[in-house]
Amino acid sequence: MTPLLQLTKVSKHFGGVRALHEVDLSVDAGEVVALVGDNGAGKSTLVKIVSGVESPDTGEIRVRGEAARLESPRAAAEAGIRTVFQDLSLCDNLDAVQNLFLGQERYGPVWSGRRVRRHVMEEQAQRVLESLSVKLRALNTPVVALSGGQRQGIAIGRALISDPAVVLLDEPTAALGVSQRGEVLDLIQRLREQGRGVLVISHDMKDVRQVADRVVVLRLGAKVAEFRRGGYTPADLVSAMTGAHEPTDGEGGDL
Amino acid sequence: MTSTTAAPAVTTTRNRVGRALETAARGHRSIPVLVVLAIIWAVFYSQSAAYLSFQNITNLTLQIVTTAILALGVVFVLLVGEIDLSAAVLSGVCAAVAAGLVVNSGLPLAVGIAAALVTGMVVTFVEAQLIMFGVPSLIVTLGGMVILQGLILVVLPPEFTVSVAGTSFAKIASTAVPAGTSYALAAAGTIAYAAYRLFQHRERVSTGSLTSLAAVVVPSAIVAAVLFGGVFTLTRQRGFPMPLLILAAMLLVAWYATTQTRYGIHLYAVGGDREAAQRAGIPVRRMVLYSFLILGACAAVAGMVDASRQLGVSVTSGGGPLMLNAIAAAVVGGTSLFGGRGSIWSAILGALVIGSISNGVQLLGLSTEVQYFATGSVLIVAVAVDVVLTRGSLLPGRR
Repeated sequence: MTPLLQLTKVSKHFGGVRALHEVDLSVDAGEVVALVGDNGAGKSTLVKIVSGVESPDTGEIRVRGEAARLESPRAAAEAGIRTVFQDLSLCDNLDAVQNLFLGQERYGPVWSGRRVRRHVMEEQAQRVLESLSVKLRALNTPVVALSGGQRQGIAIGRALISDPAVVLLDEPTAALGVSQRGEVLDLIQRLREQGRGVLVISHDMKDVRQVADRVVVLRLGAKVAEFRRGGYTPADLVSAMTGAHEPTDGEGGDL
Repeated sequence: MTSTTAAPAVTTTRNRVGRALETAARGHRSIPVLVVLAIIWAVFYSQSAAYLSFQNITNLTLQIVTTAILALGVVFVLLVGEIDLSAAVLSGVCAAVAAGLVVNSGLPLAVGIAAALVTGMVVTFVEAQLIMFGVPSLIVTLGGMVILQGLILVVLPPEFTVSVAGTSFAKIASTAVPAGTSYALAAAGTIAYAAYRLFQHRERVSTGSLTSLAAVVVPSAIVAAVLFGGVFTLTRQRGFPMPLLILAAMLLVAWYATTQTRYGIHLYAVGGDREAAQRAGIPVRRMVLYSFLILGACAAVAGMVDASRQLGVSVTSGGGPLMLNAIAAAVVGGTSLFGGRGSIWSAILGALVIGSISNGVQLLGLSTEVQYFATGSVLIVAVAVDVVLTRGSLLPGRR
């Protein structure tokens, strides 16, 4: 099966600093891949490259088997990759529907002044939120009044509006309480059930163990280990991240 | 977390009342202003019955027209989280340009109007470029205000005044739409609005969204009451005044653009969170530019209407308290100084509050300081109410 997202020998330098060195990474349909690593391991650079904010110096990116040039967030979105940023990027003063469709509103012809087709958006919003089991009291509540889990649900729902192949989640549970974290992990499971490829960046080992089918460990800009579900202990992860004790030949999982 | 679903079947009455209150407080931030307005009117009416006479109400609305038009432009700039201090003086410059062309050079009125609009938009275009370059809007427009005070001296002829009495320019303010035509316009407006609401209702029914006929009937009835009440009151003397018709038309266009279109959503998004708007692919810089261009056009219209009413342009045109009144009107009406919150109705409602105070003070022959004390207090109270509503609590905020 062709992976939905495949990175081959991707490298990125900032001046003399090596941020990423020949990183290989793939995400299959219906698979959750977690990307872990200590600070400065290159996670953020990889997020920026996959979301289209930065371009790699060398290496190849394929989406659904086709070579893609992710030169801007818009290009990445058009290629089928949507990113949910850590700060969610929601406009607090807008309601759920307006946030879900922000920048991709459904609107009428120019002579109507690009009148927003609110009823179409509401219906689609209802379906997307239902598919994620996000419950809102009313679609016209400004998102500032929503809980952290609901806000995360709307941010993920926004990514799904354009039906992307791959969803990239940057630290989705970082600022959440216990029950809301559970909600977000459920959301990730639903993305997997929908047959999408999910790439999760996280530093929370518990979340990673619970949700990831595969774990890729970065250290100092290079991929140092890859584990499959059940094929590792928390100690394995920590030692791969910190380099305290290198697993056999730098590769822990069966590649 | 509350796990109430969106399904209406499970909502209890209490729940529904609470939600209605919540929606009212959120969606109708005009309600506190309307209450304040009612109090002001009641107080002055109790002192003098002439305050709410048809004649005085007509006077009052004509007195606030310039402030309201300018405040409408200010609302657009406040919504994207910027401010403008130069618009009032700019309105004087635009009026001087138009009056100079029409009265002194004998060009047609249309040319004068077009030149004023272009002047207003060119000035705010330059201001917007500087603001996007990174200079704070407060400074750009403060400096712009001083420069424009110089520019008006350049634009005006050597005697520093242009009289427009008896010219086509004066007709802008002196024209009155006959009562019959005014009622026809009110009827047409009501029918168009009701038809639009019905169209939206049909759309929502077609996708199975929650809706009811009350959403068509209630707002349409309110619009009918306002339109016919307004026409009835304001045509008592000599027909519906043209400046008010201009203001009404501008409010109508602004209402549609800000609440019904993609432009409107993007406008509020930019004011709410620029970073998020940028990431969602909204052209933030262009949205800020649009707001300033709209203010430039509003300033030109306000300047011409004012010059036409005062029968002339002079160095003091657009001076005095006009700028601060326009900003105060927008803020008293419920538009946030921090961007993203408020509506275009705040322009007219805030201008009414401020105008009602000064009109009442003059009618009762009170001294000018009373007017200053009252206007200043209302401004502070209005912002305090806004802060409480935004924070949702009476407890003091952290600083």
